[in-house]
Amino acid sequence: MSRLRLYVAIYVVLFAFATMQVFVEGLGLSYWTGFWAVIGLSAVKALLVAGYYQHLRFEPRSLSYLMLVGLTAAVVLTAAAAYSIS
Amino acid sequence: MFELSSSVGSVTAVLQAGGDVRTPATEFEAIFRVFLVLGVLVGVVVLVYMTYNAVKFRAGGPNTAEGDADRPRLGELPTGSGGGRKLFLSFGLSAVIVLSLIAWTYSSLLYVEGDPPGDDALDVEVEGYQWGWAFTYPNGYTDSTLRVPADRPVRLTLTSRDVFHNFGVPELRVKADVIPGQETDAWFVAEEPGTHTINCYELCGAGHSYMSADLVVMEPDAYETWYAGTDNSSEGSEPDGNETTSANGTTTANATLAGVLP
Amino acid sequence: MTRRNRHHERAERDGEHDEPRVADGGHERPADTDGGHERSPTPLEDVGAVGRAFRVEELPPLSSVARWFVTTNHKDVGVLYVVTSLFFLVFGGVLALLMRAELWTPAADLLGANAYNQAVSIHGMVMVFWFLSPLAFGFANYMVPLQIGAEDLAFPRLNALSYWFYLFSGLLLGASFFQEGAFSGGWTMYAPLNVPVYTPELGATTTVLALLLFVASITVSSVNFLTTMHRMRAPGLTLRKLPLFTWTILLTVWMMLFAFAALGAALVILTSDRVLGTTYFAAETAGGSLLWAHLFWFFGHPEVYIVFFPALGVMAEIFQTFSGRRLVGRKWFILAMVLVALQSFAVWMHHMFLTSINLQVKTLFMITTIGISLPFDLMVFALIYTLVKGKVRFETPFLFAFGALALFILGGITGVFLGAVVLDYEFRGTYWVVAHFHYVMVGGVTGLVGGLYYWFPKMTGRMYDETLGKLHFALYFVGFNLLYFPMFVAWETPRRVFVYDVSLLPWHQLSTVGGFLLGASFLVMFYNLTRSLWAGDRVEGNPWDYTTTAEWAVPSPPPLENYPEGTPTYARGKLEFLAPSAVRSLGRTGADGGTDEASTPSTDGGTVVRDRSSAPVVPETDFDEGGHDEHHASHASPWPFVVGVAAFFALLGLSGVNEGGLYLVLLAVGLLLGTVGFVAFGLEPFHVPEMVAAERWPFAGVENAKLGVWIFLASDVVLFGAFVGSYAFIRVAFGWTAWEPVPHDPFPGLVNTYLLLTSSFAVVLALVAAKRRSRAGLVGSLVVTFLLGVAFLVNKAVEWQELFHEGLTLSTGVRTSTFYLTTGLHAAHVVVGLLILLYLIARALRGGYLDDDRPVEYFGLYWHFVDIVWLFLFPLFYIF
Repeated sequence: MSRLRLYVAIYVVLFAFATMQVFVEGLGLSYWTGFWAVIGLSAVKALLVAGYYQHLRFEPRSLSYLMLVGLTAAVVLTAAAAYSIS
Repeated sequence: MFELSSSVGSVTAVLQAGGDVRTPATEFEAIFRVFLVLGVLVGVVVLVYMTYNAVKFRAGGPNTAEGDADRPRLGELPTGSGGGRKLFLSFGLSAVIVLSLIAWTYSSLLYVEGDPPGDDALDVEVEGYQWGWAFTYPNGYTDSTLRVPADRPVRLTLTSRDVFHNFGVPELRVKADVIPGQETDAWFVAEEPGTHTINCYELCGAGHSYMSADLVVMEPDAYETWYAGTDNSSEGSEPDGNETTSANGTTTANATLAGVLP
Repeated sequence: MTRRNRHHERAERDGEHDEPRVADGGHERPADTDGGHERSPTPLEDVGAVGRAFRVEELPPLSSVARWFVTTNHKDVGVLYVVTSLFFLVFGGVLALLMRAELWTPAADLLGANAYNQAVSIHGMVMVFWFLSPLAFGFANYMVPLQIGAEDLAFPRLNALSYWFYLFSGLLLGASFFQEGAFSGGWTMYAPLNVPVYTPELGATTTVLALLLFVASITVSSVNFLTTMHRMRAPGLTLRKLPLFTWTILLTVWMMLFAFAALGAALVILTSDRVLGTTYFAAETAGGSLLWAHLFWFFGHPEVYIVFFPALGVMAEIFQTFSGRRLVGRKWFILAMVLVALQSFAVWMHHMFLTSINLQVKTLFMITTIGISLPFDLMVFALIYTLVKGKVRFETPFLFAFGALALFILGGITGVFLGAVVLDYEFRGTYWVVAHFHYVMVGGVTGLVGGLYYWFPKMTGRMYDETLGKLHFALYFVGFNLLYFPMFVAWETPRRVFVYDVSLLPWHQLSTVGGFLLGASFLVMFYNLTRSLWAGDRVEGNPWDYTTTAEWAVPSPPPLENYPEGTPTYARGKLEFLAPSAVRSLGRTGADGGTDEASTPSTDGGTVVRDRSSAPVVPETDFDEGGHDEHHASHASPWPFVVGVAAFFALLGLSGVNEGGLYLVLLAVGLLLGTVGFVAFGLEPFHVPEMVAAERWPFAGVENAKLGVWIFLASDVVLFGAFVGSYAFIRVAFGWTAWEPVPHDPFPGLVNTYLLLTSSFAVVLALVAAKRRSRAGLVGSLVVTFLLGVAFLVNKAVEWQELFHEGLTLSTGVRTSTFYLTTGLHAAHVVVGLLILLYLIARALRGGYLDDDRPVEYFGLYWHFVDIVWLFLFPLFYIF
């Protein structure tokens, strides 16, 4: 039962963060501050979904590392390629 | 006319260096020679050594231990068989050779990547297209043959009209990718008057094999005379009889390719 | 030991014998080893009529043609891979000989430009994709389970599916020649030559789709091998103790998983450019041409090691066996390979040194490139030192392995030349590169050919002819060097041209002579191996001295389930075979440091299409005392083949979908057949026993199917990562802040975020309901999830419709292209999720998943992943 309550709470947080993302623009932040704030919110949401809905928190740590390896590969490609022409 | 006087200055500067001016070609030759000598040496030593050992320890040979003591057995869990020190010694040695070679060539890379020596390099814009080259001079004149003066650095800025090409003059060791939407650059110095061939080094379609042009290196005086006679009449002179520009802007080389294209 | 009825053998195994058997199995040589036709069918109690209808009752005998279409056994699939890859070797080889014949004179006199460019391109693709890796994976399929002590791969049907995808991708490639010509822009497919403006042939699209299907095959295969190798090793066989061939395959599949995902992304984008009209790689797109180079080489460099590592593993095995010495510095050898595998993803820009990338990045990649060459020095020396104090026997496998090492050394040395950027500038696009990578790659082939001779007696039970083998090697080695060495001398020839400087004529003619000699040497091999298949000497158990690995401890060829002597274990430090009752006690006591676990059998339904009939069965009850083993493993399924055929039709149809007519029919037939195939695949009861006791690091505690899902998702991360990376790259090239999002306001996107988040929550509720055994709750939650997913798609369709009306279509420009394609790929994931949901709902309605909720859980993993992707696409495409 408590697990279900946790899921509900996470759902509420996800919903709230998604709403906040749209209104970050109105805060008058600089472009890049706003950008990273919104991406940061997305990252937190993603971690919540992965950690609890996909219950990675309760799985062997190796599964999280597996996903991190994939993510790292994608980030290396994106960052190095973008840097190469800047 | 400003062009003329500054180029005379450059020629003197290059000549004063006693013919030893560093160009991409000289850099390449020097490094290539060292790599070739070392490469052959290392290759021969390693190949002879491995063959020597294989033969020396052949089954039934005089150096081969009889019996199966300490030989691998079916179903054993793998273990290494020692020899770590020797391994690391050879590894370390090869690593030092490779690393120092590469470090040594890095200064060359910086040199080649940098601006050409002197401050009066001739700037030529190069545009590759299927399947030919267009060279545009500072005065706007465009030609399908690249004419340059001897002993004066030439700086190329390259781009493509259509697909990915690669511009290369093997004899002068100059090469650059030619990419639509991107600009690359390269420079070279041609020391002697003469004619060289420009090739495309990236597969670019049916006419790839024929995508060549001439690089004519002229005596500086002759070059200046020729250059003074050009104007920005690019349209008339770009295609030298082989190409026609079709309505939609793509160019095909008719005469050369007539035999090979479907 | 006489050939025995499997029933008796089983009954006996299950019944009486507890003591470890003596490993005498190596001497049993049954002429007919499949045994499948003697089996009783598997009566699975709770399979509905539908399920029964889709069931192949038994595996036909080896002599039956039908067997090769339905088999899922790893050894059969291995043989299929080997034979098919050799067919593609001939195909690619003939193309190469056509090229060499054209190059006999410097003029265009044989093929002409278009045919020559097709030969160049398809030769490269066939050899790299359809020959090299599949030959290695033939060996891997056959040997890896045997070496690690597994009875089969984790997902046998998916293994068969990989094979059929592979075969049909190759046939698709062949078909492309008949659609106005195959792709002719080189195996590197540089942009923008790869878009229809420059290569308008339909066949070029088919070539791209063939590669895409090949990527699918590799991805399925990687998931399968990784799950198998991480979770199905015999007790005592920790990762460090794995045989070297298995080690190289392990690293190869890890690299494949991520590298091929990037290639997959590149190919999906290219397909979209060719079929849907997006403009990623168009000449007008800022950075489009460079983007292709980045995506391709991010895959392409690891690919070099992907094709070379298995050869290295074969060489290591052969060096050990034929020198009678254990590999020197084994630990460092493995460490070196791990380093190479990791670093292979950080060297790709050395293929782009002459492009417009900046000097800092060039320097960085020069350093990583030199760094990655060093571990190979160590590996080469380790192999050489292994010979010292050995007892070297120059038999055919060793000759090839030894030759491979020599060739690789030359390839390596000439590669160092390319590491010096100043030299690389000049070698770029010349025969120096051609010669170098052929020394490396065909050097690898040499090692694999050694493997073919090495394992031929294992796979066939017959010995090849040694004299002919040595003759093959002599011709091969001379032909090889005659073919490729002159290319170093004539290095100034530009690549992929058929007119060259007349002064180089003698070298090119020498090369052509070598090429035909090399080709002819394979005729000797084909004759030798084919003849030996029938007339070769019978192999008495193990033909080689000093082998260590487990495949040599079982009969040649091994029986269907590999280990007639019992279950293999290394728990006591060396290979032993345990009788089943001993295994059961192992399972109960959890021997061997807790690495094993009482586990449950699973189907290989892949993700979520698990059948309820495979409800958990405790291993102890898995052995039927009555002697008619009800739960023995399944080995036959027709559905992988059917899905393979469907993929062939669907992709062939897709290649010409803009032409309409017959192509539309093909596409429709393919999709229909594919649906039938997948549903049947899901419904078919297919039993795969999980190992009772096994080494499972680092994935102990993650059941096979769940691990498979996660591994697949990891590759999907790279797929989406490459899409987002492409978007970021093009946007940087365009000017990041000058780029406006395509949608005018973020609200449709926000609504979709709400919808997806809510649907994720609904899946969570579905799992909770299933755990509470509430059918209504389960069905209700799944239906809600489905409806939310549909709402997501409807909302997106409405949004797109409006944008289309404003004239913002896929081909308007790269800004709209990236928007539609990236969010479209995501939408496609949603559609796939909805199809799976339909299947789940249908089964849940009939009471499914209450006893075994794992399919719901695994579907949830996928669905949440799709949700997470959207969480990033939303800000990237709607807000900024």
